[in-house]
Amino acid sequence: MTRLRTIYLSRQNPSRAARVRPENPGFERFMWWFMRLSGLALVILALGHMLIMHVLVQITGQQVDYGFVTSRWGTPFWRIYDFLLLVLALIHGVNGTRIVIGDFVSRGGLRALLLVSLGALTVLWMILGMIVIIGFNPATSPAVGPFS
Amino acid sequence: MTTLDRLLGLQDRIVRYRISWAQLAWFGHRLSGIGVVLYLFVHIVETSMVTLGPNVYNTTLGLFHNLPVRLGEILLMAALVYHSLNGLRVIAMDFWPRLTVYYRGLTYAVVSSTVVAMIPLALIMITPYAPWGHR
Repeated sequence: MTRLRTIYLSRQNPSRAARVRPENPGFERFMWWFMRLSGLALVILALGHMLIMHVLVQITGQQVDYGFVTSRWGTPFWRIYDFLLLVLALIHGVNGTRIVIGDFVSRGGLRALLLVSLGALTVLWMILGMIVIIGFNPATSPAVGPFS
Repeated sequence: MTTLDRLLGLQDRIVRYRISWAQLAWFGHRLSGIGVVLYLFVHIVETSMVTLGPNVYNTTLGLFHNLPVRLGEILLMAALVYHSLNGLRVIAMDFWPRLTVYYRGLTYAVVSSTVVAMIPLALIMITPYAPWGHR
């Protein structure tokens, strides 16, 4: 198996912030492409999300609250936007974390534990996020929550 | 032995080697990425509270309405801006290898653009807690 090395370590490229594109087709090469393509999309999606939620809302004097989310998710556009943001950002971020764990944790047992936990958490959080974005319906949500 | 010599000797012993901008850019990319993904996990749980109705959701959001969290959100914005710009630099150099010649200038451009962009963004985001924001 070809052990992937960062450009940083192999000194082939002065950028030192990227990996060499894996030679063989497979999971690692797929993720190499995924990181770059999802990264390009996330520049728009994630920065756009932050600019709307933290800057535009502030400038226009609005407040993010239940009513804000209800009206936002009343249009399919923002549901699709947020769904894409959820899926791309979670996979992009978790794959980055996987690479960082692989680079910094060399002990086999600990590394395996971290990677399995990361995978399990990701599946749970992905399902939770998808259920919320697709399934949220203000008509059926309780007016007074269960904890009050 | 002059004072300058002693200072330089001290610097050699403490720093050992000079950290380049390229290494800092690489480390900053990882640090900002880990920071954003940690926030993402919290943010998904926070947003999922919307399904429990207005009372629970607005109460949850209330936990985030204080100065320390707002400062964290400004850091998050800086991490996202830096990660985006540096990521674009990495992508550009991956697909146009000739650009690697200019990696130093591109790295300076990424860092300085992040700083410049963060000045108005931070000022707007801190407004509710700033003297000029009075609410």
